[in-house]
Order: sequence, then structure tokens, then C-alpha cells
Amino acid sequence: MSADDLPASAAARNAPEERLLNLVVALMATDQGLTKDTILGSVSGYREQAEAGASKDALEKMFERDKENLRALGVPIETIGDRLEPDDLRQARYRVPTSEYALPEEITFTPEEIAVLNLAAGVWGEASLSVDARSGLRKLGSLGIAVDEPIIGYSPRISLHEAAFAPLQRAIEQCRVVTFPYLKPGEEHPRTRRIRPLALLEYEGRWHVYGIDVEIERERTFLLSRIVGAVKAMRQGFDESLREGAGERALQGLEDLARRQTALLEVHPGTEAALRLHRRGTPEIQGVRVPFVDVHIFADELASYGPEVRVVDPPALRDEVRRRLQAALEVNGAAR
Amino acid sequence: MTARPVLATDRAALMLQLVPYLIRKGEVSVAEAATDFDVTPAQMRSMVEKLTVIGRPGDNGYWQMANDLFDIDWDLLDEHDRISLTNAVGLEHAPRLTAREAAALLAGLQLARSLPGVGDSGVVAGLLAKLAGGASSTPADLIVAPEPVDDVRGSVDEALRHGVAVSFTYKAPDAPATTRTVDPVKVHIAEGQWYLQGWCHLRQAMRTFHLDRVSDLVLTDIAITHGEEQPPALFDMGETGNLVHIRFPAAVASLLRGYLDRAQAVTTSGELTQATIRVADPTSLKRLAAGRGGDVEILEPAGAREAAAEWARSALEQYTGDDSQGRAVSDSAHPEG
Repeated sequence: MSADDLPASAAARNAPEERLLNLVVALMATDQGLTKDTILGSVSGYREQAEAGASKDALEKMFERDKENLRALGVPIETIGDRLEPDDLRQARYRVPTSEYALPEEITFTPEEIAVLNLAAGVWGEASLSVDARSGLRKLGSLGIAVDEPIIGYSPRISLHEAAFAPLQRAIEQCRVVTFPYLKPGEEHPRTRRIRPLALLEYEGRWHVYGIDVEIERERTFLLSRIVGAVKAMRQGFDESLREGAGERALQGLEDLARRQTALLEVHPGTEAALRLHRRGTPEIQGVRVPFVDVHIFADELASYGPEVRVVDPPALRDEVRRRLQAALEVNGAAR
Repeated sequence: MTARPVLATDRAALMLQLVPYLIRKGEVSVAEAATDFDVTPAQMRSMVEKLTVIGRPGDNGYWQMANDLFDIDWDLLDEHDRISLTNAVGLEHAPRLTAREAAALLAGLQLARSLPGVGDSGVVAGLLAKLAGGASSTPADLIVAPEPVDDVRGSVDEALRHGVAVSFTYKAPDAPATTRTVDPVKVHIAEGQWYLQGWCHLRQAMRTFHLDRVSDLVLTDIAITHGEEQPPALFDMGETGNLVHIRFPAAVASLLRGYLDRAQAVTTSGELTQATIRVADPTSLKRLAAGRGGDVEILEPAGAREAAAEWARSALEQYTGDDSQGRAVSDSAHPEG
């Protein structure tokens, strides 16, 4: 059931968003808090339904759902227990402290900062996070800031095509363990992974999720493009402190890996391969040494360069490149 | 313009932002407010009308008397399509950012930091701290790995700021290098790749250049004359180019996204998909075919298919005499275990 599922007659009189807003106004107007009974009997949206004969049980359920929905919007609903009976929620009082609800007024932005924020809010293009970015920008804008000249000449975009992204982000926010089917290249079937997700990381244009693999209690990084089915959030949660600094650790992990793991390549000068690889590598006597994080992704790229590049080392990378070239030759080499 | 928010909670979230917005604006047209909230004017009008039935509960049976409710100047709305609050009974403050809103902006800032002139100014560092302080709960870490700013990118930035043309050597794949003079219009960053769009003096048209293929770039003292030109979409081929017919397993379609975005026709039967795509040079698909390792078969034109086979064959010849192909990679060093 959602907040929209009201008896038709009541829904016609009071849209659910009206009830939610009336509730926020009421809870912000009180210092000592309102009891549930007071709320259900006086706040518009509940009161009419109580008067129309809705059961107390149904109204209380609606109130619980509304609280949950408002908290998801970031509205901090505080529960003040009875001093004498702290565990007895019947006498609990509810309120929304303005100081925690409102954007702190001491946060101010210079026109230059607003220009950068505008650019930052635009990176999501058509992705669903674009709605969130624009909503955030609107809230900051209501602090009353003049908008400076926009930063022209740049159109930075973050691509987001993986269906796994949104459920993983939600699981990180809620500190919930997730499972997903993960297909590694060269393996026939996907294997279900169970992790505590801690951060999402875009590295070299690809999204990764970083977390702790619950089976082996080790930190692991997974490519979102290899998640081949639904991401499911489990009931099982984890401590929010695990998330502290996780993004930095994830980035550090991939950078360390790229430092340890390099390929020696012979590249024909003046080719596409030379232009793309020399920028990322360091010259050696026998060619150029280029760091990489994933042997399969790098092999895809190197194979596309065809005769422009020859892999000297490591053998595993060389074999992967040859395997791709051989397959491409077999598929396109036969007469049609 | 987005559709009307479907969920009541989403509509409530917008209306929580509406009051502080209207207070700050004083008076605003329905059209302007609608634009600022990404809704239609009709939706904005309905939100404003709804606001007037919201307010403090009142007490002792005197429920929601007129001064307990939000109110607007109705004549102004009916006759002039303008909104002005005449009574506010709360919600004056903008709500804190949700974790999702903060995360979306924080990730965008990390990408903005990679732009020349933005990252080193200290602006982003200050913003990251302020946004973290303005969120109602801890946002999920969304990290965008920084890309190094090289000389080419720095110089393009300088040219954009000074409004002068740049001159550089451009080496497109499988084409001889050319020297170009270009009025820079826009730098696009997509999937970690940087592209310069601008007016090419040689071609007398808007062109897109991958910055990795640019070298020997210098600033000229030619003031730009096409800076206002509206750039086309990044990979818009228009009606130019040639059609290529390819076939691949339906399961790998997502890996070919960049090509399929420009596809003319895509049909899937069983586990195989066929697509017709428009490219400037059909033989350029040899790179796609080799990189996808047998997943992509070029059906037509025959020349492109032969080019793909030859591309793979000549690449393999480089390894003649090496050990025969070894074991498959089992211990990928990617830390996914």
C-alpha cells in the first residue's frame, strides 16, 4: 500500500501530498511535540477521515507510512518518548526541529561557486540522478544567491546506463547487504555475489561498486557492466561506519592495482594506437609500458588496434588479445 | 520538461521547496516558476492552488481558520498568471538536501574538478565541504576518478577563454594527418573521453575532434568568428556516411551502445540481433569487430567485412613464432576475486 491508496471519497477531498504537508507544518509549529492522538484528531487529512469513520488502526498505519515517506525525503521527524515510560510509544510526542530540517543559513555560496555547482548539476544529462541534482540546486538557490555568468564552453557528462546503479546506491544509503549475479569474462554462468556495498566509483569511464564480499570478508571491486541480473537488497544491514572514506579507499585500490599491473607494448608510430596509448604510458626501450586494471577490458581495447600494437608482456594479456583477433578473423573471414 | 511527479511524496517534496522559493521571489510568473521547478505551467498552478488548503491544524474544533492557512493573491493569479504569497504559516526554510541530492551534486563536482581552471581554484574543495554539511543524511560515496589535465586540454581552455582559434595536427584513425585551424565552441566530456567541437576553417563546417588525436596544438591570434554557432549533437551523423549491416549476440548489445545509439534499424530474433548503422567509413568497423573478439559479424558491405578479417589477420601475424596460445586467464588480477 502506498500513500496514494486512500478510500476514493477521501482521496477526492484530500490529496495525500496535502496531508503530508499539513503534517510537516503541524510538526514544525510545535516545540514540545504532538502525540499521535492529537495528530490524528486535528491535522487535516487524518481528521476528516477520523470523522468519516475510518478505524483508528487504519489511521495509525497511514501515519506510520507518512512518517516513513517524509523521513525518506529528508524531513527529520523526532520521537520524544514519555519521560516516565520511555518505551511506551502511545505517549510519545512527534516534532520536526527546524534546525535539523532547514538548510543551515550560514552555508553561503559565492557567485563563482554557484557557477561551478550549475555545471556539476548538469553532468547527469537524461539520467535519473539529474532530477536529484536539479532539486538540490533549487534548494541551494533558495538561500538567495545571485547566479553568476555560467561556465561556458564545457559540457561534461557522466554516463549512467547500468540498471544496477540505482539499487546499489539505495543499498549504500540504507547500509543493506545486497546480492547480484556476476558474470566474469570467460565463465559460462554468473555466480551470485553477496556484498556490503560501500561506494560507487567511475574509473576510466566505467562504473564499479566497491564493498566487502560477505563470504570471504574481503574488500572487492565489481564492474557494474558484469552484473547480469537484479540487485537485491537483503534484510541484513551493516554499520554505517564502514562507509567512512570508502570512496577514497576504492579509488586508491584501483590506482594501486594500475601501478602494479602494467603491459609492455610495441606500438607502431603515427597510428591511432600510438596516440591513445602513449598518453597513458611511459616509454621503454622495447616500446611503451601502460598500466591497466582489468585484463579483459584492456585486451578488448588492444585487439581493436589490430596490427598497430603487439603485446610483449604479460603473457596472459597477449593470449587474451590473440584470442579476440582469432575469433574476429573466424567470424568475418569466411566468405558469405 | 518532466512529467508530473507520479508519487504523492514527490509532489510533497516539490511543494516543500515552493514556499521558500515564493518568499524569495516575492512575485513570480507561473511560467517562470514552472521552468524553475521542471513542471508544466498547469502543474505549477495546481501546486500553488493546493498550497492554499495547507496550514496549521488549529485547535479545539476551530480547525484551519483562514489565518492558519497559506494564501495567495488570487486576482493576480487569475488575471495575470502571477504568483504572490499573501500568508505563510511555516515552511519558510529550504529543506536540507537529501542524501541522493547531495550525492548527485558531489559526483558532478568531482567531474567539474577535472576541468582546467576549476580544479586548482579551491572552489570545488570548499563546495564539497559545504554540501556535506547541508545534507540530511550521509550521501552514498559516488566517486569520479580524476583525469590528468595535459597541455592540449590546458591550451584549449585558454583558447576558449580568450576567444581565439587554435591550430593543431589531427590524426583520425586510418586517415592521413591534417593540420586544422578551429574556432573552439565547446568541450564535451563523455565516458571519460574529451572532444572539442568547433568551426573547422578547412572544412568550413562544425566538426568534432577527439582530443587524444590532437597534437602540436598552438593558440593563434585569429579571433573566433563562429563561437555562437550551435553545435550539433556530439555524434550526430545527419544523413551523411554509409550504412553498415552487422550481427551480434543480443546479450552484448549494451557493449555496443555507442554504435547502436546511431542505428537505423535494430531487429532481434532469438539470441541474435541485426543492426544497420551509419558510419563515415564502413571499413572503420574493423576496429569494433576486432575489439569485440568475434561477437560482431559485419554482414555488408563486403569491403568492410574483408577489411575486418584482414585487420585481425595482419595483427595475428605479428605473433607468428611466439609460443602457441597459452592457457586461458584464470587469475585475473582485477580485485573482484
